[in-house]
Amino acid sequence: MTHAELDTTYTALAEAIARTGETRSPLLLATLALSLLAEQPDAASALAQITQAERLSNT
Amino acid sequence: MTSSSTTSTSPLPARTPVLIAGGGPVGLTVAALLAQQGIASTVIEADSSFCDGSRAICMSRRSLEILGWIGADKPMLDKGLSWVGGRSYFRDREVLHFEMPAEPTQRFGPMVNIQQYYAEEFAHDAAIATGLVDVRWSTRVSNVTPHGNGNTVEVTSANGSTHRIEADWVIACDGGRSTVRELLGLQLSGMQYDGRYVIVDIEQATSRPVERLAWFDPPSNPGSTILMHRQPDNVWRIDYQIRDDEDPAEAVKPENVLPRVQSHLDMIGETAPWKPLWISIYNAKCLTLPQYRHGRVLFAGDAAHLVPIFGVRGLNSGLDDAGNLAWKLAAVLRGEAADSLLDSYSIERVHAARENIRYGAKSTEFMAPPNYGFRLMREAALRLALENDSVRSLVNPRQTTAIEYVDSPLNIADFGAFDGGPHAGLPAPEASIQTTGGAQHLSELFGQHFVALYFGDIAPATKGSGGVRVYSVRDTVAIRDGDIHDTLGQMRERFAAAPGTLYVIRPDGYVLGRWRNGRDIDIAAIIDKALQQTTRTA
Repeated sequence: MTHAELDTTYTALAEAIARTGETRSPLLLATLALSLLAEQPDAASALAQITQAERLSNT
Repeated sequence: MTSSSTTSTSPLPARTPVLIAGGGPVGLTVAALLAQQGIASTVIEADSSFCDGSRAICMSRRSLEILGWIGADKPMLDKGLSWVGGRSYFRDREVLHFEMPAEPTQRFGPMVNIQQYYAEEFAHDAAIATGLVDVRWSTRVSNVTPHGNGNTVEVTSANGSTHRIEADWVIACDGGRSTVRELLGLQLSGMQYDGRYVIVDIEQATSRPVERLAWFDPPSNPGSTILMHRQPDNVWRIDYQIRDDEDPAEAVKPENVLPRVQSHLDMIGETAPWKPLWISIYNAKCLTLPQYRHGRVLFAGDAAHLVPIFGVRGLNSGLDDAGNLAWKLAAVLRGEAADSLLDSYSIERVHAARENIRYGAKSTEFMAPPNYGFRLMREAALRLALENDSVRSLVNPRQTTAIEYVDSPLNIADFGAFDGGPHAGLPAPEASIQTTGGAQHLSELFGQHFVALYFGDIAPATKGSGGVRVYSVRDTVAIRDGDIHDTLGQMRERFAAAPGTLYVIRPDGYVLGRWRNGRDIDIAAIIDKALQQTTRTA
């Protein structure tokens, strides 16, 4: 994905979160994350990303 | 801080070809550019001299090229601080180090920091030196009555006396709160963001390199975003975001500003004594007039559009307005062009403003997130950028670049196939060249005339026809006037040129059209057609 394309998806997701609202956004993000996890080549890379996200979210 | 300005004491003129409302950087640059084309103007400025406070401080390479056309680039470079890149930090860790395009052979760095009042002074001096510009300080436009052949403009002096000036054309460069815009009953449309930034200039010595510095959630001011830019005369520009629940009037009081600044200077280890120079407050606005031409009144700079501060598109886009407008208005006033040429000014620069607003909005969504979605995403992006290169570009400040004039009525579609290079509506690329005048840059040839660049030996009869300068681009040493030696092959590469390729460049450095086989093209006729064109509507 190019920088411009990443930028476009960043904005689209921010706007989707804003529309969904704070209460329902965890569901939105979990749904999106699960869909992206299913596209990972194997469990190892998916688990590594979950570990990284959990670690960063505690900072 | 500002040098004394020239005060004209002679009576105001009864008529002027061009009255420029507003003696800020855009108005003074338009005046100087028009004067380069032999057009006299009268500049009416409400203030008594150059601006207070440093205001716009980042001048793009493109702006320096435009100022170069009036001879104001040298003082800008002598005084300003050139820079190439910057760093962004999340808390106390670096998340991005960016560099803008730069090369050893360049004419100007990608960006030069300088206080706006210096830019005003240098543009003013360039304008006055032409002998064709009459600048009237402490004088305001109090009425504008457009009529068939021009405008009757009432101006009011500091002592309250009023005077009428017949102006064939009025250019409103009178800023974000434009009086001319109000007098004509015109309104900016668009949106603005709630997030507010305090802007502080302080004087403090430092040995740091000149870079754009940004901190997100710094330990010095948790939750805030802070930007720092270096200016000449030992000045720091510091911008920081205030909380949504803070009262803007309270936020700019020194007792609320200085402790935050001190805390941040402490954090980054800047310990030299310092004092505040200027404090202001800002929120991002995305506003433009739908048209910049209203009969014989033209709008430029902040009077025409207000774009977010992030990405430094404000004054830089105003100077591009000036560069686009001056040659067109001069051609109309000289009787060489139909006045419909000025519709292309509006079409091109409204498009540019909308593009600048689009980029500026993107920057603002990161720098001052407007809602929960953007706040949450920024939290994620900053954390992930610490570890993943792939998302670091999201933190990049998207600095100003020259805007392509997509769908301009002036654009001529390519004749023949080109593999790269700039098509019509794009700015001509820069190149190191040699002429009989010595080592130069291509951008120095622009600013006043149309320029034709023919790659090879062009028929001598074609040279100098009409208002165009025709150059033969060669890979051998320039021995005749009108030769360009493509010293480093940069032109051939950047224009995707082959023998016989012809580019016609507008006076503002934008490509008008290009021909793969340009040997028998009647360049004067091409230019005449562009000047006489009537506006095509979308």
